[in-house]
Amino acid sequence: MRVLLMGNEAIARGALEAGVNVAAGYPGTPSSEIIENLSRVAKERNLYVEWSTNEKISLEVAAAASFAKLRAICPMKQNGVNVASDFLLHLAGSGTRGGLVLVSCDDPGALSSANEGESRHFARMVEIPLLEPGDFQEAKDMTKWAFELSEKIKNVVMVRSVTRMSHASGNVWFGGLPDKEAKAAFRFDGPLLDPESGSVSSLPVSHSHPVQQGKIKKAQEIFEESPFNTYQGPKKPELLVITSSVCNLYCREAIHLLGLKDRVGLLKLGTTWPLPLKLVKKYLLTTDKILIVEEVIPFLEESVKILAAEQAREIGIKTFYGKKEGTIPMTGELNADLVASAFSKIMGVPYAPMEPEYEKSSKAAGGSMTPGRDLTFCPGCPHRASYWSIHKALQLDNRKGFVCGDIGCYSLGLYPAGFRAVKTHHAMGSGLGLASGFGKLDAFGLDQTVMAVCGDSTFFHAALPALVNAIHNRANVTLVVFDNGGTAMTGFQPHPGLTVNAMGQEAPNLDIARICEAMGAKVETRDPFELEETRSTLNRLMEEEGTKVLILRQICALSPEKKGKKRYTMRVEETRCLGDACSCNRLCTRIFRCPGLVWDQGKKKSRIDEVICAGCGVCADICPASAIIREEAV
Amino acid sequence: MEMNIMGQKELHKEVREAQFCTGCGACVNLCPYQASYRDEVITLHPCDLKEGGCYAFCPRTPTDLDALKKRLFDPKDLMPEIGAMKGFYITRAADAKVRAKGQHGGTVTTLMSLALQEGVIDTAILADEGQTLLPQGTAVRDPAGVRKRGKSRFVVSPNVAEFNRLAKEGGKKIGIVATPCQGLALAKMRLKPLVSYADRIDQLKLVIGLFCGWALSWRNLVALLRKKTDLAEIEGMDIPPSKYHILQVYTKKGSMDISLDEINPCVRGACWYCPDLTGEFSDISVGSARLSEGWEEAKGWNQVIVRTERGQQLLDLARERGLLEFREVPGGNLKKLKTASMSKKKTAVKNLILRSRDPQNLFYLDSKDPVLGTLARRPE
Repeated sequence: MRVLLMGNEAIARGALEAGVNVAAGYPGTPSSEIIENLSRVAKERNLYVEWSTNEKISLEVAAAASFAKLRAICPMKQNGVNVASDFLLHLAGSGTRGGLVLVSCDDPGALSSANEGESRHFARMVEIPLLEPGDFQEAKDMTKWAFELSEKIKNVVMVRSVTRMSHASGNVWFGGLPDKEAKAAFRFDGPLLDPESGSVSSLPVSHSHPVQQGKIKKAQEIFEESPFNTYQGPKKPELLVITSSVCNLYCREAIHLLGLKDRVGLLKLGTTWPLPLKLVKKYLLTTDKILIVEEVIPFLEESVKILAAEQAREIGIKTFYGKKEGTIPMTGELNADLVASAFSKIMGVPYAPMEPEYEKSSKAAGGSMTPGRDLTFCPGCPHRASYWSIHKALQLDNRKGFVCGDIGCYSLGLYPAGFRAVKTHHAMGSGLGLASGFGKLDAFGLDQTVMAVCGDSTFFHAALPALVNAIHNRANVTLVVFDNGGTAMTGFQPHPGLTVNAMGQEAPNLDIARICEAMGAKVETRDPFELEETRSTLNRLMEEEGTKVLILRQICALSPEKKGKKRYTMRVEETRCLGDACSCNRLCTRIFRCPGLVWDQGKKKSRIDEVICAGCGVCADICPASAIIREEAV
Repeated sequence: MEMNIMGQKELHKEVREAQFCTGCGACVNLCPYQASYRDEVITLHPCDLKEGGCYAFCPRTPTDLDALKKRLFDPKDLMPEIGAMKGFYITRAADAKVRAKGQHGGTVTTLMSLALQEGVIDTAILADEGQTLLPQGTAVRDPAGVRKRGKSRFVVSPNVAEFNRLAKEGGKKIGIVATPCQGLALAKMRLKPLVSYADRIDQLKLVIGLFCGWALSWRNLVALLRKKTDLAEIEGMDIPPSKYHILQVYTKKGSMDISLDEINPCVRGACWYCPDLTGEFSDISVGSARLSEGWEEAKGWNQVIVRTERGQQLLDLARERGLLEFREVPGGNLKKLKTASMSKKKTAVKNLILRSRDPQNLFYLDSKDPVLGTLARRPE
């Protein structure tokens, strides 16, 4: 059967075809659909699927299944690998039993990330095999094969996808689903160092490290024969292109666009660490010009160059093109145009991505005919209201206070959408960690008000240790928890604060307010839509010493419970809105800027865009002329 | 001096950042962008209007004081040292209970209550005690309300913000107790420089000015007093004549003297640049008295300058009704007051020149002003 599948669906299908038993991950674009798809068939396929509290824990949960001889998959976004990496290093040393596959979905170009961090280095750093699917069929097949490889070498295997693989779709031929009953048992009754029946540990390192490197050697041998490494092109190409991942598709398209199939050879590698030495060497011998096409950091390029240096006596001196030399951009995503331009430069074949005339007219049309759109919060988003109050409280407080931001939709606090209240923005949980540090600098004369924000899911993920730190060290910090009832940005995945788990079962919910209280923080809870109450509470908390927590609870406007339901019907009373004659200087559309508020060019007054207004009612409280009217929706 | 009207950005740069802001509240409640909070005027969001009431009414944006005085007062009454004067008096409330609840002689309380009673005004704006010594501008509509709020506060109460809030509603007859900077702000409003606010100021029917040496910064004052007493114990404060060099704090446990050496660092920075001691832009202005019997007697009286016809009528009515008691003004009192007033002007000009290092540049004051300009040109 051939089905159009999204890359992440293909990965999930591959895991099912491999007979996966346990899946654990933490939501993060572009990885979330893998767990979501597996959770949908959890009951049918007898899987255990969970959204773990963070990525490190998800890898630990998956590893436990492996230690008990089950097959487990652990998907996460690239930043998640950083979180999991501490355990990953130990895990790579201890080895695994049942097939264990770590899937990292990287985000070149940072389309939905705060950086375009590279997870591939982790494979080299912790010495585990790395696989990169080059199309959607491979996304499925390689995932399935990764479990077999993991069991062959008894170690975790990393599969790396990217946004354009995970979130694009292609045709995939299905294989069968196994009918195997899984029985979990953790054996430790054998000899201490026995991989199947001893203790699972990277100790003693003098024993385990050579064993681990032996596994990598074995993987390299297997890679020499891997069907995921393919070559297309002439026997003696003028240019050898070496690529991996989704760049495979760009390269194929570029070769086609420029009609270079008889001049350029394409070596697509699916097993990118360790490189299959003999295979790569064989193709390096076919030509002297080599171009490496990959996104973000020159990982493959460096590996190939090291290999070429080691084999220089036999393969001779090569000319390398790629990121280091400048033909391929060092940052951002690639696409077929960029790759074709690189080919064009090296091969002397002319290529223009588009007619200059068309480029000009399309730019002009784009400038004049498309509406300007900010990076902003949705209509009815509680974050806009929360930041409105935070900003006002900080201004009134008048001590040059600032917010240490965190990861979520509320990262937009850096921008006008959040009235630029956020002044630092790093990893999950880092907002409060930084604030905890700032909150101790009063001894050195720092007299600014220090705040941190985090979402409800982020609170559990990584803010908790920072909160412990802040409280214990008496840091003067006000933490605002934006509790919008789920992991909203990635699609409302549940978290430990909710009464449901990844498989839709009822689960005990952990109460953020009670946790903070038990830890010793002063805690208040408010509805962020109550602007003045929120603001005055914040000002009061800022004046107090120590670590304070304000929980702003209001569910996301796009959440399934709320979406499409308006609490209020909003309208602008035209007799009261004075337009430009009002001293408000368009506060609603110039500063507050909810997309549901529109400046009517004709009438020179504000109006509500009823189609997108979510009916939260907040704008009625910001209009100084009381011209925005809210009526209970019927 | 040219009085160009600009916007919030310039106000922020020329007044707030330059630390000339007096906290008077003139820029607050005109729009959603300026707020008064804990003794500070705060910019909530940027406003890009080129001309704003905030800038136009601010007593610390450039003002032609000479032209303003000539326009608002009878030029015959103008004195270079203390502004317009129709009469100079020493008065106190006839009612001892009013005196007890007021500052010194309770003259302000008496006049404001009378204005309400007679319908000269229907709303009086004065400083309310607020929490932890942080006064608030409050509107009252009955004489009893005035009598409850008779004490001096020593920290600026943003009374003009409260005026702006009420005047926006319209249809009122408003009386206000104003510090010199607040009186100036209201006087600038009377010029109606901006059409959108022009009508509002017509509701202002009475300005009772306060003599003011300086105001204290609330944060600094509270920090100082917390070291000395429980703030809840404080019942009032006063500054006796300069030879005592103290601030007196009246607490439930008795009076406490704090040396002005300790108080001076608490003074709101902006006040060192203020040229007005006697509340020149008012109908009638009131301060503490000086008597030959000494401070113990003098502190039960007020010195009063009547500046306008309206002020004279009110004072005369209070005398007629027996609400105010008068005593003869000792010879030399007016001269002493003029000297003190000039001394404040000199200090302001001197401090401004220290900032600008240029006698031609007095920031918001006019170096060509007939009074202040002379001070600027005079070598120290």
